[in-house]
Amino acid sequence: MSFKDIDEIIKERKDNLLLPMLQAIQARFEYISEANAHYLSRKTGIPFSKIYGVITFYEMLYTEPKGKYIIRICNSPSCYLNGSLNLIKFLESSLKIKSGETTKNRKFSLEVVSCIGCCDKAPAMIINNKVYGNLTEKKIRTIILGLK
Amino acid sequence: MKILQNSNFMALSKTAGMKPEEIIELIKKSGLTGRGGACFPTGLKLEFTRNSQGEKYVIANADEGEPGTFKDKLILEKNPNNVIEGMIIAGYAIGANKGYLYLRGEYSYLKNKLQKVINNAKKIADKLKIYFDIEIISGAGAYICGDETAIIESVEGNRGNPRLKPPFPANHGLFNKPTLINNVETLANLPLIILDKNWNNNLRLFSLSGNVTKPDVYELELGASLKKLISFGKPKNKIKAIYFGCSGGCLPYEDITLNNEAVKEKGAMLGSCAIIAVDEKHDIVDVATNIAKFFEYESCGKCTPCREGTMRVLELLEKISLKKAANEDLELLEELCRVISATSLCGLGQSSTNHLITALKYFRNEFTDKLK
Amino acid sequence: MKITINSKEIECQDDKTILEVAKENNIEIPTLCYQEGFEARAVCRICMVEVDNRLLPSCSTKAKDGMVINTESKKVLEARKINTELLMSKHIQSCFVESKEHELCKIAKNVGIRQAKFDSNKKTYIVDKGIAIVTDNNQCILCGRCVQACQMQNVNAIDFAYRSYHTKVTPAYENKLDDSVCVNCGQCLLACPVNAIYEKDDTKEVLKALKGKKHVIVQAAPSVRASLGEEFDLPAGTLVTGKMVSSLRKLGFKKVFDTQFGADLTITEEAAELIERLKENKNLPMITSCCPGWIKYIEHFYPELLNHVSTCKSPHDMFGAIAKSYYKDKYKINKKDLIVVSVMPCTAKKFEIQRKEMKKEVDYVLTTRELARLIQLKKIKFNSLADEDFDAALGLSSGAGTIFGASGGVMEAALRTAYETATGKKLDMLEFNQIRGMSDFKEGSIVINGKLINFAVVNGLGNAKEILEQIKNKECKYEFIEVMACPGGCIAGGGQPKPTNKEIVEKRMQALYTNDKNSTIRRSHENPAIINLYKEFLGRPLSEKAERLLHTSYIKRGT
Repeated sequence: MSFKDIDEIIKERKDNLLLPMLQAIQARFEYISEANAHYLSRKTGIPFSKIYGVITFYEMLYTEPKGKYIIRICNSPSCYLNGSLNLIKFLESSLKIKSGETTKNRKFSLEVVSCIGCCDKAPAMIINNKVYGNLTEKKIRTIILGLK
Repeated sequence: MKILQNSNFMALSKTAGMKPEEIIELIKKSGLTGRGGACFPTGLKLEFTRNSQGEKYVIANADEGEPGTFKDKLILEKNPNNVIEGMIIAGYAIGANKGYLYLRGEYSYLKNKLQKVINNAKKIADKLKIYFDIEIISGAGAYICGDETAIIESVEGNRGNPRLKPPFPANHGLFNKPTLINNVETLANLPLIILDKNWNNNLRLFSLSGNVTKPDVYELELGASLKKLISFGKPKNKIKAIYFGCSGGCLPYEDITLNNEAVKEKGAMLGSCAIIAVDEKHDIVDVATNIAKFFEYESCGKCTPCREGTMRVLELLEKISLKKAANEDLELLEELCRVISATSLCGLGQSSTNHLITALKYFRNEFTDKLK
Repeated sequence: MKITINSKEIECQDDKTILEVAKENNIEIPTLCYQEGFEARAVCRICMVEVDNRLLPSCSTKAKDGMVINTESKKVLEARKINTELLMSKHIQSCFVESKEHELCKIAKNVGIRQAKFDSNKKTYIVDKGIAIVTDNNQCILCGRCVQACQMQNVNAIDFAYRSYHTKVTPAYENKLDDSVCVNCGQCLLACPVNAIYEKDDTKEVLKALKGKKHVIVQAAPSVRASLGEEFDLPAGTLVTGKMVSSLRKLGFKKVFDTQFGADLTITEEAAELIERLKENKNLPMITSCCPGWIKYIEHFYPELLNHVSTCKSPHDMFGAIAKSYYKDKYKINKKDLIVVSVMPCTAKKFEIQRKEMKKEVDYVLTTRELARLIQLKKIKFNSLADEDFDAALGLSSGAGTIFGASGGVMEAALRTAYETATGKKLDMLEFNQIRGMSDFKEGSIVINGKLINFAVVNGLGNAKEILEQIKNKECKYEFIEVMACPGGCIAGGGQPKPTNKEIVEKRMQALYTNDKNSTIRRSHENPAIINLYKEFLGRPLSEKAERLLHTSYIKRGT
């Protein structure tokens, strides 16, 4: 297994800041595997246990592969007051997974998240950096179908 | 909106001709306070940081995460120039050469645009012989990283746990060096203050959302009437209560003066001016449970009362919702609120029970009606 | 400056925390996550006190002139009770064990908690049963003292992971402790206030062996005799050798031998090894090898420097090798029927005896605490036991052997023998005071046959990195280095009675040095039993037989 990519990522960060390095590894490999994290630890001198502690602290860093599309639907008060709960249930039944899970074909991951700052478009969700607001069941169906 | 006036780096030009101490005096005189919710006098913060020893840093707190708040996003989208310019001005004032823009992960789609603004600003600043490097650090999904010491921990590559204060970031912050941390809106105001002799310190950005048909950011003066703000929102149904984000507490809907004193007098906190309107179709216990879920999920886990307490608060609220709770449970809930509020290590924990304390004060019957 | 605590005016120095001032004035404030010698993290929130209507953590808040503090106000007591209850609910519900080791339960009792207010612990974790150390996250209250200890040791096998209620202390990727860089030193165990970390229990197996028909013999380390008494409420630093031997006999061991004999043997071999390396000027500096925590550390973190480590086994391993060869032959015992048990202050020894190179020469290791538990289980009245002596064959030892348990002791013992055997002269002073005590790093020098030998003592794994980097960069000026993983030496080992703090460690240390001073024989090479062993069996130090039985090899583990 080649760790050339990780070497490059480490080289770019002369200041050895961990969070951007982990994000770069995830951008390249979709998640941060044990092998990659261990190699990062060996090369940077940052303790392996600490790296795992940092990855697992942040909601947007993963130790396991997720789906191609990560659906982050908000359930904080503004969206909740505008019916997000029903939309979450709708997504769960449409995708046939519970929140926190990934579809078998690895196409979709569903996450219920805290306020994403789209309260003026509540109820809202983010899929891979794109915001979808003023959601209805119909809109969601269209969006999901449109994602290849 | 005044806050969206693009100064086009004219303030930076003016800054280059001023001494750092003059800038700080100007900011102090303006009366600008932090717009992230803590309301600390910005001029004083600049002064403390400037007077500390060591290499200095500026961190722009773009980790806007308080539910119901989306004003910083608006500024980053519509007037990013001011934010970057504000960072450079602040850096110049305190004597820093490096700044980090901590952009919450959920706003990553703004990163490319912001990077372009930074690149452009660097060219302009260099020409003015103001040397200041800005790097965007992306957050990775943690509300707690909006706390100023947690943001430092996060940039350093640690878990986003808040630090004990003292020492304060102005003395020992990022990499243990003097660090200035300011909210995006605060920084966006710096160029306006430099350029406009009549800059209005009373303008605030109210993020209005919830059961309103026109949720938006409304720029109003402090002291505006809540009724007026709600009327802008054009609610469909009768409004029962308003929540000042998740951490500011709630009040029954009536005409209130929207300023810190009047809101505080009623037992709530204006904070970052997020107003979430709840209409009468909603159960306060349900809203409380939803907010309790938020805090339980976002607690960093470092200290006992917040880590354990927010989970137990949620547990008790769910018990009440299911009509399985008795009076002792309500008493225990109130006791928990007092202890979590008084003993949590940071602002998240300390304010995590405000919504419940105020809900029990003003809507107690909705809770007691569900008791066995 | 003057501050007021509970209406009492107190004079105190500047730059002290409220907790420190309270302690100085015998005002009790309960704490849980606070560890002396470590940075206060103020996370448990049990030590809160009231100042100006606010609650502040006393462990981290500095006292200011004129401060008015209340440690027992209504607000304080309510907060203390609720936070303790929150922790008790996270902890196992039924654990209202009255044990002097269990700090949380002690606080719960003082705060008047009789039963849990909250529903039981929501998370259930699998207990990680390691070879030496067991970690039970179900009992963990996330005080972080273990993480601090592991960081101090510079091992960093464990850290916090996840967030909010799901926060957990774990090795990376939830690996088992045995699959991480954990060196089994047990400093985490000593730090834990609630027994979420404890040694792997070998008492059941030992009891089973004692009940059976086999010839079960036991040896006890020097540190055990200097600390076992604490488990029976004797003051720290009480030497209980006689009672220790007596209790072991009462437990049913056929012979009670002394690891100090093994220590003398180790010194004889190691001194000879040092002299040989000095002659050949190869593989210098030589580093001691009797600490299994240290051995695992260098195998993980500096495997390229393993050639510097002495090939000598540790004293109890050497003893085991001699027991299962010389002793069994001399006393006509079948190897299959011979079981060797070591009583050690150390958790890493449990790992050590399982190493392939150790060939099961020692069958079980019991920690000092496990021995105390056995004594209590068998209702032996420890304090009223009459003193007894070790059995002769492998029970005679020197003062040099006894000081093994203290940081600097191995070095001192080795120098006594190395100097006198190499020069043929006697040392004027047997005490090497410059390498005694609790300092992180100690050094000295001695002239042997015209050559200046520089020696150093590293006290605690956290202090090893600097000298290892020097060796790596070929900048090391020492010829001989002792490394002990536990700060203070084996007397502060993971198997020792709790609490183990600086004050108690110093008292235990003193007991060993006094024991040495009072010994008739103070040099390993003058121990007649050792002299006899070489005459009858081993030949000479580093002989082919000695190499085969008493020396070992190491593994490049990497991280």
